[in-house]
Amino acid sequence: MRHLSATEFVDFIESSGTLTPERVRHAQTCTECVARAEALRDMRTAALDDEEMQPSPLFWDHFAARVSAAVRNEPAPAPDMSWFRQPAITWGSVASIAMLLLAMAVWRATLHAPAPVVSLATHASTSDVVLPVPEAAFSDDVDADEAWAVVRAATIDLNWDDVHAAGISAHPDDVENVALELNADERHELARLLDADLKRKGA
Amino acid sequence: MRPRRWQVTVTRDRTDPARPEAASASDSDDDRVLVQACLRGHREAFDVIVERHQRHVYQLCYRFAGNHEDASDLAQDVFLRAYRGLHTFKGNSAFSTWLYRIGVNVCLNRLGSRAQKWTTLDAADRPDFRAERADARLLRGERAAEVRAAIARLPKKQRAALVLRVYHDLPHDQIAEIVGTSVGAVKANFFHALANLKKLLKSQS
Repeated sequence: MRHLSATEFVDFIESSGTLTPERVRHAQTCTECVARAEALRDMRTAALDDEEMQPSPLFWDHFAARVSAAVRNEPAPAPDMSWFRQPAITWGSVASIAMLLLAMAVWRATLHAPAPVVSLATHASTSDVVLPVPEAAFSDDVDADEAWAVVRAATIDLNWDDVHAAGISAHPDDVENVALELNADERHELARLLDADLKRKGA
Repeated sequence: MRPRRWQVTVTRDRTDPARPEAASASDSDDDRVLVQACLRGHREAFDVIVERHQRHVYQLCYRFAGNHEDASDLAQDVFLRAYRGLHTFKGNSAFSTWLYRIGVNVCLNRLGSRAQKWTTLDAADRPDFRAERADARLLRGERAAEVRAAIARLPKKQRAALVLRVYHDLPHDQIAEIVGTSVGAVKANFFHALANLKKLLKSQS
C-alpha cells in the first residue's frame, strides 16, 4: 500500500477523522509512515513550546492610542460604491438617461422647426379666401388639450435628480412653461412625435 | 444622550487561549456593525475594532517579525491598511479573516526581503517560568530561540501556514481563505513547514 501523502499526514497527526480506516491502519503499521508522523508531531510540539510572549499590559493602551492618532490623520474611508457598478442599475440608468435625452431632442427640434408652409397660390384669385385652420389651433387652453396629455404623461414620472445628474438643467415647471409658449400646432406636432416614439419603444 | 447605534459590547476576552476559535457569529456581527459605523464617518468605531483585534494582530506580526519593535510597527501598519480599505470589506468572510489576510500580506511583503532581528522581550514581559529549575528554563529558552530562528527561514507560504495553524490555531479552511489558496495546499504547506523545520533545526545543532 502506498505511503501517506502530505495532506494525509497532516490529517493523521491532527486526528481530523477524515482518513479512511485503511489509511489509518497503514499509518499505524507502516514503519516509515510511523517515523515520519512522529517527527512531524515532534516539530509541532517544539513550535508550540515557544509560548506566546505578551508585552506589558501598558503597551496595549499605548498601541491603541498610536493607531487612533494615525487613523485620525487619514481621510475618512470612502463608502462602498460598488452597487453602482451592478449591471441592472447601470443599464437602467443608461436607459432612463437615453430616453430623457431623446425626448428633449425631439422637443427642441419641434420648437425650432420652421412653420408649415401653407400654399396660398390656389386661393390667390379669390378675395374671400378662408384658410382651413383646425379648431384646436384656436385653443390655447393647455390643460384641455388632449394631445398634450401625452407629453405630460411622459414627463410626470421623471426623477429630476437623475435629470440634473445627467447635466440637464431643467425644473419640474419648465415643461409646462414652455408648453404655454407653444401654439396648438406645435403642441400637436411634439405630442405626435413623442407618442410615436413611445409606441415604437413599446412603452 | 442618544445611544450610538454602532456601540457593541465585547462579551468575552478574544485572547482567551482556552477559547481559540477565531470569531463567533456574534463577534462577526459586531465587527460588521463597527465597520458600517466607520464607513458612515464614526471614526471612534475603529478604536473599538482595534481594541478587539490588537492582540491577535500583534501576535501574528510578532511571529513574523521576531521582535517587539517591528511587531508593533507592523501591527499599526496592518490597522492603517485595514482602515484605508474598509470599503472593500464585503462581509463574505469574518472580519478577523479579512484582517488576518492583510496582516499576512503586510508581514510577508515587509519582511520577506530582509533578515529579522530576533530578540526576546524585556524580562518583565516574559512568561513566568519561576517554577522551573534554572537549567531547564535556560534550555527551554535556547530551544525556543532556535525554533523561532528556524521558522524565520521557512519559505513564505510554509511559514504563514505554520504560524496561523500552530500559534493562532486557525482551521485549515480559514487559513486557505487568508492566504488565498486551497485547503489541500494549506495542508501541504503545513506538512512541508514541519518537515523543513526538522531539517533546519538539525542543521543548526
